[in-house]
Amino acid sequence: MALVDLLLVVGIIAGVYSLLAIGMNMHWGDTGLLNFAHAAFFAVGAYTSAILTTPPATGSLATRVVGFDFPIIVGLVAGTALAGVFGVLIALPSVRLEGDYLAIVTLSAAELIRLLIHNEAWLTTGAQTLKNIPRPLDGAIPFSYDLFYFVLVWAIVAVCYLLFERLSTSPFGRVLHAIRENDDVPLALGKNTYVFKLKSFGIGAAIAGLAGGLWAHYVYAISSIMFLPSITFLIWAAVIIGGAGSYGGAILGASVIVGLRQITRFIPGDVPFGDQLSYIRLMVVGVVLILVLYYRPEGLLGDAERLQAGTSE
Amino acid sequence: MVLDPQLIWNGLVVGSIISVAALGLTLIFGILNFINIAYGDYMAAGAYVAWAVNAQVGLPLGVAIVAGVLFMSVGSVVLDKLVFQHFRTRSPITLLIVSIGVAFFIRNLLRAIWGPSGHFYDLPMEANPSFAGVRFSVEQIAIIVVSLLLLLGVYAMLRRTRIGIAMRAASDDRMLSRIRGVDTEKLVLYVWLIGGAIAGLSGIMLGLDAQIRPNMGFTALIAIFAAVILGGIGDPKGAVAGGYFIGVAQEVSVAVIPSEYKFGVGLVALIIGLLTRPDGLFGEATR
Repeated sequence: MALVDLLLVVGIIAGVYSLLAIGMNMHWGDTGLLNFAHAAFFAVGAYTSAILTTPPATGSLATRVVGFDFPIIVGLVAGTALAGVFGVLIALPSVRLEGDYLAIVTLSAAELIRLLIHNEAWLTTGAQTLKNIPRPLDGAIPFSYDLFYFVLVWAIVAVCYLLFERLSTSPFGRVLHAIRENDDVPLALGKNTYVFKLKSFGIGAAIAGLAGGLWAHYVYAISSIMFLPSITFLIWAAVIIGGAGSYGGAILGASVIVGLRQITRFIPGDVPFGDQLSYIRLMVVGVVLILVLYYRPEGLLGDAERLQAGTSE
Repeated sequence: MVLDPQLIWNGLVVGSIISVAALGLTLIFGILNFINIAYGDYMAAGAYVAWAVNAQVGLPLGVAIVAGVLFMSVGSVVLDKLVFQHFRTRSPITLLIVSIGVAFFIRNLLRAIWGPSGHFYDLPMEANPSFAGVRFSVEQIAIIVVSLLLLLGVYAMLRRTRIGIAMRAASDDRMLSRIRGVDTEKLVLYVWLIGGAIAGLSGIMLGLDAQIRPNMGFTALIAIFAAVILGGIGDPKGAVAGGYFIGVAQEVSVAVIPSEYKFGVGLVALIIGLLTRPDGLFGEATR
């Protein structure tokens, strides 16, 4: 593959991760909520869109009996919406819990959702891959399809960036920031902080669902092992490295992480430790995360003042 | 409903492993006050080192277990000196995120060295004996006996030794214990030595009962969290009770729900536990 094509693929992955990081930044950066369920919202978006846009599986070994063959846009919208609903559902009982407790409950809820996807084959094809997910405008693009998808994904990232940036500085966003700083204060001012937290959780989860839909329609085939908790942790690393509280930072952090992970695609296969490279680059992610937290705790683009908030006990 | 004794036996074996792991995690939490996401990877590292000594070097399993436990005990202290120590004054959330970085590092180091696929300890092949209709293996009995001895040992340590009493004091009220002259840094050192050793041992037990894989500890982490939280974070007695509860509930559930969902039992128990008794089985509902 030519270098440009490889860069486009890496760019598409970076765009999808950027959307995930934007959602996570709403939770952690803006509201100070520890969400460890992001991989599940990503999965809900991907599976919803895939199930809605493909016909039921056929053949003697087919297990999936549900499928709708709707247009892709229906799938994407529904996937985004349903991921948001799941976000609110998970948040409803748990969002009152203190920081690290919330982390554990959301992590568990995410695994429960993955367990469902993995086992309910009638809906999701279970442990096998859900294949033949359609690509938007496939065959109708006169130039490189990857170039088209790259532009599509990054256009959506740009729109989301502007939207969330605006939301963050709006009265709604200012309440979220107040919750992050100390949620007794907005409560005393008559704001229903519980409802604001639910909204934050739902909106951030919805963007992760949109990322899931875009991912599913790009890769043709999805399976439950794509949505392990390690995705959630990678997105955490992206937000922290980029700078919590900054949407530009979220996008930069996601691109750095994807770059670190994918850079070995450009290295010839016969270098020493070639087989281990994919693991070594994840070790590097771990080290970079720790170094950033030590030397630049506000992250690459984050605001040092943000550090004072959301991290208290 | 008549309970299948085999399922209860399986539950006791799994519960023993979860209990030991939960005890280590809760000791670390009690003193250091942060949730160590990398704990499951400490377990896996202990299991791998023991496996390497056993299957690759060819030494007897007993020697390998001691090597794995010592390695993780010292390794935890080294990781503390290299990483966690520098974040001691930061918030618990920062430490939690730091431990994500440590987890990435350890898990992928294991994959880089020993590959992503599973391994087994070099054990003599024997037919599993059965008693009163319950089939069991020698390893399972060893797991239960060792875990009981360890739990009693840690209990005695916490009750009888100076360092154990200091640990309980610091876990109850860190500030007060520091004012009363407890050497916090020395305490931290002991906590990592003991907590790391327990992590290594529980990882080896997990590997003996099933398979040694790079993500084995991380996969078990949710059940361990569930045990810790059900027991009340930082409460060793509660962690053990929670561990046996989760283990037995998980295995016995197979009689009524599809076995693919048995891991969901721990998750549901965790969520219900957190929402109804956030301070644990023996805690007072003050939160």
